[in-house]
Amino acid sequence: MKYTTFNQKTVNTMLEPMFFGNPVNVARYDQQKHPIFEKLIEKQISFFWRPEEVDVSKDRVDFSRLTAAEKHIFTSNLKYQTLLDSVQGRSPNIAFLPIISLPELETWVETWSFFETIHSRSYTHILRNLFSDPSDIFEDIVVNDEIKRRATDISKYYDDLIFATQLYQTVGEGTHIVDGEEHLITMRELKKKLFLCMNSVNALEAIRFYVSFACTFAFAERELMEGNSKIIRLIARDENIHLTSTQHILNLWSKGKDDPEMAEIAKECENEARVIFLTAVQQEKEWAKYLFKDGSMLGLNEEILHDYVEYIANQRMAAIGLKPEFKSKSNPLPWMNNYLSSDNVQVAPQEVEVSSYLVSQIDSEVNADDFGDFDL
Amino acid sequence: MSKNEVSNDTDNPRIKLNNTLVSCTKGETVLDALERNGVEVQFNCREGFCGVCRTKLLNGKVNYLVDPLAFIDDDEILSCCTTPRSDIEINIEN
Repeated sequence: MKYTTFNQKTVNTMLEPMFFGNPVNVARYDQQKHPIFEKLIEKQISFFWRPEEVDVSKDRVDFSRLTAAEKHIFTSNLKYQTLLDSVQGRSPNIAFLPIISLPELETWVETWSFFETIHSRSYTHILRNLFSDPSDIFEDIVVNDEIKRRATDISKYYDDLIFATQLYQTVGEGTHIVDGEEHLITMRELKKKLFLCMNSVNALEAIRFYVSFACTFAFAERELMEGNSKIIRLIARDENIHLTSTQHILNLWSKGKDDPEMAEIAKECENEARVIFLTAVQQEKEWAKYLFKDGSMLGLNEEILHDYVEYIANQRMAAIGLKPEFKSKSNPLPWMNNYLSSDNVQVAPQEVEVSSYLVSQIDSEVNADDFGDFDL
Repeated sequence: MSKNEVSNDTDNPRIKLNNTLVSCTKGETVLDALERNGVEVQFNCREGFCGVCRTKLLNGKVNYLVDPLAFIDDDEILSCCTTPRSDIEINIEN
């Protein structure tokens, strides 16, 4: 079916599935099949921030004092974060928008991607401050084997879905030969590709980002690179919302609350979904080895990072109905919660030094006890 | 929790988790009450959108302080943004 930017057929979106129904026509939010996406949009927009509002100038001094091993950990981590957001800033738009059938989900995906572009811009803000010419860092992302290996796995499910969708929307269902290669395009196959892609995105948001956050916050725990940490804290808060959205999509499918065929596919492909998740876990463990190849840093080493990956993997697997894989243990990095808690993220980044700063908020709750020491 | 153990003291409801009984102060969230009593619970955002504090609610009812955005099943609650309406029984899987 050809994609159209304004579908002139009257469609009741309350009866449409999230994906592969009719293309969306009117961007209306007065009625929603899945109101959760509208709520996520509102929450995400309320988190709006600009990287330039965070002062990262002190980080330059800290950076110059890091050991060579720590510098390697810090810059490699930033490179990886840059890769993740480069992919996430465009891919949900390109892969999902052409096949979405609900206005609230369409706008959610656009909102989600837009915030990833804020993240991408913040890496430039951070790197410009640390290096007079950050070109080497950016250029290495495309040639560094360790990063490329991850990039391959992150982008392949997206690329596969995008290519199949393009074929479907130009030549329709059937077996098509492109560059001598045969491609079977059926709705079932497309939906399977979508399911696997969503699982891969979920693993990225659930596991890959968090390993990088742990590295960033380990520096902040030692009161180093705090400007960077303030930015990553804002990014982490956004990523938490993005993760919630992919968990919702996967659960809506598997619990039969959207497209019944997707519920079948979720069951049929459960093992593949599990493999995607565990592959991401394994890759993150290998990444930890690369990060700490020249030596570890105070408070964080390869083993602790492995334990942390397993710890969050169990929680994230349970959240999408997969049986946890690893032996349950207590949080190996309990201080991570201080950075991931919304309470500790300042509302206005420009007021970072004032911890109690709140914008347009008053405490409207007054109890009789509040007047206890009040005499006339 | 057997029937005669259930109190409807809404000012000081109790939380039963496995074999421990934790009491809540008025307006205290389930998560805060558990932490105050030294129970290790997973959490991240503390604002109802990350879902890390997802908890099975076996008995009782809760009030939400904010609209929960994270995915929760019909028999689950988010401990970070709920206060018990009366005594409750929960189970934490992780």
